[in-house]
Amino acid sequence: MSARPPKRRRTPSLGKELVGLAKGLGTTFGEMLKPVITVAYPEDKTPRSERYRGRHYLRRYENGLERCIGCELCAAACPVGCILVVAAENTEQNRVSPGERYAKVYEINMLRCIFCGYCEEACPVQAIVLGPEYELSDTSRDKFIYTKEMLLEPDPIQLRAEDGS
Amino acid sequence: MTLTIDGHAVTVPKGTLIVEAAKLIGVEIPVFCYHHKLDPVGACRLCLVELSPGPPRAQTACTTPVAEGMTVRVTSPMAVKSRADILEFELTNHPLDCPVCDKGGECPLQDFTYRHGYPVSRVQEPRLHFAKPLPISDRIALDRERCVLCYRCTRYYDEVAWEQELTTNQRGVQSYIATQFDQPLQSVFSGNIIDLCPVGALTSRVWRFQSRPWDMDHTASVCSRCAVGCNVNLWERRGELMRVTARENVEIDDGWICDRGRFEYTHVNSPERLAQPRVQRRPAAWEEALSRIAAAIKGRGPRLGLSIPADITNEEAFLLARLLNGPLRGARVVMPGRTSLPGPPANQLAIKDLDGCRTIVVVAADVRADAPIVNLRVKKAVAKSGARLLTVNPELIDFDRHPGVEHVAYEPGHAAAAVRKLFDHPLLQEGPVGILYGDSAGAEDGAAIATAVAWLAKEIGAKVMPLYRATNERGVLALGILNGDSLDGCEYVFTWGQALAGGVPKGVRFLACWDDFARPYHDRAQVVIPAVTFAEDQGSYTNLEGRVQFLVPPLQPKPPLRQGWEVLQDLGLALGLGSDYLGIFQVQRDAAAAYPALAALAVPPAPAPPPAPVAMGAARP
Ligand code: SF4
Ligand code: SF4
Ligand code: SF4
Ligand code: SF4
Ligand code: FES
Repeated sequence: MSARPPKRRRTPSLGKELVGLAKGLGTTFGEMLKPVITVAYPEDKTPRSERYRGRHYLRRYENGLERCIGCELCAAACPVGCILVVAAENTEQNRVSPGERYAKVYEINMLRCIFCGYCEEACPVQAIVLGPEYELSDTSRDKFIYTKEMLLEPDPIQLRAEDGS
Repeated sequence: MTLTIDGHAVTVPKGTLIVEAAKLIGVEIPVFCYHHKLDPVGACRLCLVELSPGPPRAQTACTTPVAEGMTVRVTSPMAVKSRADILEFELTNHPLDCPVCDKGGECPLQDFTYRHGYPVSRVQEPRLHFAKPLPISDRIALDRERCVLCYRCTRYYDEVAWEQELTTNQRGVQSYIATQFDQPLQSVFSGNIIDLCPVGALTSRVWRFQSRPWDMDHTASVCSRCAVGCNVNLWERRGELMRVTARENVEIDDGWICDRGRFEYTHVNSPERLAQPRVQRRPAAWEEALSRIAAAIKGRGPRLGLSIPADITNEEAFLLARLLNGPLRGARVVMPGRTSLPGPPANQLAIKDLDGCRTIVVVAADVRADAPIVNLRVKKAVAKSGARLLTVNPELIDFDRHPGVEHVAYEPGHAAAAVRKLFDHPLLQEGPVGILYGDSAGAEDGAAIATAVAWLAKEIGAKVMPLYRATNERGVLALGILNGDSLDGCEYVFTWGQALAGGVPKGVRFLACWDDFARPYHDRAQVVIPAVTFAEDQGSYTNLEGRVQFLVPPLQPKPPLRQGWEVLQDLGLALGLGSDYLGIFQVQRDAAAAYPALAALAVPPAPAPPPAPVAMGAARP
């Protein structure tokens, strides 16, 4: 290791100190006059882009049938592998989605999700979409496995029925 | 013959088709109708290439044999465009429902369109529609909209399976695949059309929508349903066995498996499987259950009866043989479902040698029921290498539908005499001759047939193949532990796997059962222990030609389930046997040293073959 040059002692000078102080205070007061850019979260919230990618939803058709056909393309596209889809076959007695196939199990591990939106992009029927919601705190890891029931948007037919009553 | 394919020189034997030559050097020529086990037909025109010398037009690589000095151009603009146009035609009526199609992810139509087709579709017109999905048997679904009319399925039925169940109706673009008279498929070989179909037109209803190809892991294993020992892939997802597919081994199965092997696996995932050892119907630890069994069966001599499963592994049989030579000496051992044939013959005919036989004789066996894939091999020898076939059976069997097959009938019960009379049969005067023999589903005396066949084979210089029925019958026979057909009179009974057809004899003093499912007679058992299935067990089988092949389990046994060899090992300890194996390799080494028939157990598995060469991949327009 090379030897350090001996430290030079600085001579204090009142003038210099005062200039420094004024500069600092100038910045402080200057900032106070500028418009505020922070918000008092959680009372106030910043506006989000229309295309914000937050919590997922599984959409339904107008007639209440689920859009998802259980094709697993979202799971294949997901770069972190946090989607689990187990498909099953629609029958006349149990019709969940139009067509032949539906998702019996649909789970997203929200702790692993990076909200990239690839799943939404991969979906051939626009079933999985990322919504605006981002406040996803909870008290245990298990609660971050969002099941199909949690992800599905409410059944429009039921909603209408409830509105009517 | 030497030819060049896109600048790569390749030398192949005369008669090789251009597609096969291209495969050797890894030049991809897409095919739908061509399949290396079926005769070429040139139905789909997807394999178009440009040849010189020759007329300036695209020609099918799957029907053209190579010629000396031929130049094949796969990537010339004309060839590339021709193939892309064909793919566009294929897709004009295709429903494009890949997201709900079970072929999606392993579909040649997807892959070839991606690699050889046009990037966008121009089709605006309405597409042809059919009712779908159509169940054509309770295991197979047909989707006619997806069909590309390659006729692989119908050709397979005609050429390989020799069954008349699948056909094409209508003509031209209206053609569709249908079963004869709309009856469900009956053949025991039907499942292979699922593997053959290059699109999702024929899919498994057993595996329907259960998983995607990409979310399964597959393991190269062997089928456990009969003694042929076809090679299979076992596909696993999330701890469950998803499906079974063929894994081509030209020496055994030639790329086919029967429906038993393909579809009989769903029990593996059943929630009703036994999982816990039970003593007097209450849950117990393995130690307790095994020590109860040991205490009850030790030293009972012939009063102890053991029934063992058809798919017992060689390792398990070896460990059992140790017990039978020690603390369980004298016990009666039966194997439900086996033939009455004696141990291996001296001049064994290998399955692959059927191809080279001039004459094949089938004695007292319905090969389709006993050894399904051997049946297909015999048909191949007759249809493709001109072998002559002689069936010796009381009644006509499925082979006899072929016009050239000769049939010799005999009075039931007199098969051995009928065999001796074959001595001067004109068909047997020219070799090589292969004789396949069974025991007529238990109706004949297997030992007498075996003696007669051995005599005949010696006289005419033939090779023979006993058609054992139980999966590892041959392996167990080599160990010499079987000594009875019934457990009647035994006071202490230990059933492993399903009991004999007659059930457990009345008046047993102690009954222990080792099984994967609950059965009615378990109510009478003092101890019931859970068994693993072929998808969880480690070990090996000896197939009917004496070849030892390894089971590779795709699933871990869920605790407290334990593998067969571990349980037998601990039972041995409970019975006072000293030695303690730490792993199955030690068992295999000892078994190989003790029995010459199991010598293959000590041979390390062959390394995986090197990946196929790739000289040139896709050729997109
Ligand atoms: S947003 Fe991205 S990371 Fe999250 S589930 Fe979708 S694909 Fe996966
Ligand atoms: S959400 Fe979309 S991509 Fe995912 S399984 Fe359902 S239909 Fe397929
Ligand atoms: S069903 Fe499949 S195998 Fe049969 S002709 Fe159609 S595409 Fe070919
Ligand atoms: S022939 Fe036997 S080994 Fe082959 S698939 Fe069928 S049951 Fe399995
Ligand atoms: S593969 Fe050559 S015509 Fe079908």
